[in-house]
Amino acid sequence: MIIKTSAIKILTSIAVALSLSAVSYAQDAGLIWDGVYSIDQASRGETVYSETCVSCHGQDLGGNSNSPGLVGMGFMFLWEGRTLGEFFEKIRSDMPTDRPGQLTQQNYLDVLAYILLKNAFPSRTEELSSNLDILNEITISSK
Amino acid sequence: MKIRTARPSAVFAITAQTILLPLVFLLPASLSQAQIEDFTSVTDEMLTSPPTDEWLSWRGTPAAWGYSSLDQINTDNVNQLQLKWSFALDDTGAVQAAPLIHDGIMFIPSARGVIQALDAVNGDLLWEYRPAPPTEDFINSGEGTRAAILPPGAFAGVGRGVQKNIALYGDMIYAATETASIRAIDARSGLLVWETQVADPTLGYFYTAGPIVANGTLVTGITGCDRYKEDVCFITGHDPATGEQKWRTSTVARPEDPGGDTWGDLPLRFRAGSDAWVAGSYDPDANLIYWGTSQAKPWARAVRGSDGDALYTNSTLALNPDNGQMAWYFQHLPGETHDMDEVFENILIDVDGRKSLFKMGKLGILWQLDRETGEFIKGTDIGYQTIVNLDPITGKISYRDGMIPRIGEELNMCPSTSGFKSWRAMAYSPDTSAMYIPITLNCELATFGPTERQLGGGGTGPVRRVNYHHPESDGNLGEVLALNIPSGEVKWRYRTRAPFNTAALTTAGGLVFIGDWNRTMSALDAENGELLWKVRLATSNQGFPISYSVDGKQYIAMPAGTGGASWSGSLPRELTPELSRPRNGSSINVFALPD
Repeated sequence: MIIKTSAIKILTSIAVALSLSAVSYAQDAGLIWDGVYSIDQASRGETVYSETCVSCHGQDLGGNSNSPGLVGMGFMFLWEGRTLGEFFEKIRSDMPTDRPGQLTQQNYLDVLAYILLKNAFPSRTEELSSNLDILNEITISSK
Repeated sequence: MKIRTARPSAVFAITAQTILLPLVFLLPASLSQAQIEDFTSVTDEMLTSPPTDEWLSWRGTPAAWGYSSLDQINTDNVNQLQLKWSFALDDTGAVQAAPLIHDGIMFIPSARGVIQALDAVNGDLLWEYRPAPPTEDFINSGEGTRAAILPPGAFAGVGRGVQKNIALYGDMIYAATETASIRAIDARSGLLVWETQVADPTLGYFYTAGPIVANGTLVTGITGCDRYKEDVCFITGHDPATGEQKWRTSTVARPEDPGGDTWGDLPLRFRAGSDAWVAGSYDPDANLIYWGTSQAKPWARAVRGSDGDALYTNSTLALNPDNGQMAWYFQHLPGETHDMDEVFENILIDVDGRKSLFKMGKLGILWQLDRETGEFIKGTDIGYQTIVNLDPITGKISYRDGMIPRIGEELNMCPSTSGFKSWRAMAYSPDTSAMYIPITLNCELATFGPTERQLGGGGTGPVRRVNYHHPESDGNLGEVLALNIPSGEVKWRYRTRAPFNTAALTTAGGLVFIGDWNRTMSALDAENGELLWKVRLATSNQGFPISYSVDGKQYIAMPAGTGGASWSGSLPRELTPELSRPRNGSSINVFALPD
């Protein structure tokens, strides 16, 4: 197999960047109440939510008879003590119900950020990590 | 059949009064391809005793047997069935269609208000009614606490838009919509004649069940009462000519009404549930309609704040269709507390001269009531549930020790909150004196959680769910259970790995037709449950199969579709992960013997 040097350089750069990114996120993986997503990201998530989630979960994220609520006591009852990683995997594997897994990873992360916003978890300047290991370290908890 | 393809320009004659909301959004983009010239008006007499070759009510007749007396297709030749035609339905929402047949035409409801008229012999599209999406003005016009629940996107996603059944009467098709209105559509042209806004959809109200016609009154039951609001669910009667509301009967006992104390001291706004989301039946001799109501909400007593009976939830209501007055009610599960819905179809059978009503809810108890008085006659527990004990004499249930949920405490229960029985209606054959019941075998570790007791809050209440196979299922989710009527003895069971996902249809040909989630449509021998024929469809079978005849040839029609309520996706995905289905492919599929 012949791989051009320039291509190797590019791949190496990407690998290094990803590694650094992971380190950077790992350093940020704190409590959910320290802020784990950005407002801009949540805004993008609201758009995705309005297009793909709202018909079942409602604009206020309150759910209906066949779809659980995503805010308030109901959300915390279902998810408190579990990690953002678990929640991310749940919505990425099962949602939307007519085409589960068919949104982009970024779309799922953005929706997750929007749900955090609607549950009054604080934001920060950086976006939510896309590293599942880091998401698995962030526990959904009451203040 | 005479069809005129060049039709006059569309004129929408909306005569009904708007109750709550502007009708601007209701002007449809109705697409009529043809004018049906030789349509004959449907009379009360025809609905009561439909011609053998037609299917005029959602379950065949007002008695809702799901039975066809056609026998051209029978146990000897069913293995020769061939696909005659198929027609794609909209994949823009959930399809659980119950087609109707009249004058050689199939009228079929699809997702989000679409209704199509098809040539029942070859599937040619004759006309279609396709409502326009609601306008921003409509969306923003709602008042009350739920004003934000239905933004434009809410009408374009999944999980809603179901219209199970429509009604035929006179020259009209009647439909109930996901925006809580009722429509009359000209059966000849597909043009909207009137539309009546029955309730405010921004409060969460919507329809999934369509209307029935009883003694000249159009009757519908509404749903969407899971959230707390200043009103409750109801059943209404309307003038078929204009849509004008003749009566409205609440399905919840108001504090000042008889039975109002069965909710404890909860004010009206916190009396949720009792949705009427499955169409009823009608006995013209008694002049009574029979309509089911759903469980109270939030589901668990501890969450909703009352351990009272919560009338008239989980009941069968007998109403006079002329004025909506309640002749009697029978509450199957007083104070229900596990999401064990009893809202489903009411099958009217005369047993040894006694006018009876049969019904089964999620728990898998087959109830036999006297439909003239509401008196309990018999209850048959099919033996899978672990939640209640049934007194065989009185019909009263009592909860087994430790089976009333407490907030945050895990409960091991069969069935799961998905139930053994659901909207997938059972069918009754007078030839075999048997009821054919689609059952889903499943259980759950359930932990019920709290919810906000405030306007706009409530809902079902959260439940941490861990579904598992029923211990007696051998890993099968699907079962067709045949019970002898009235004894309740098991005649046979037919099981499959995939859950059944349609109503049952039984015929005078000695057959039971049913379809499963895994795309397999099957014909079973009604006597012994033997599999006689099967075929795979484009996606999950879903809806209400029917049979009809045109020019002496019998057809079997099976709807397919995805989306919709309850476990239609979750249970198979969790418990039969090796099975998959396309996420589109909504269609109607019509079979017959070779020409």
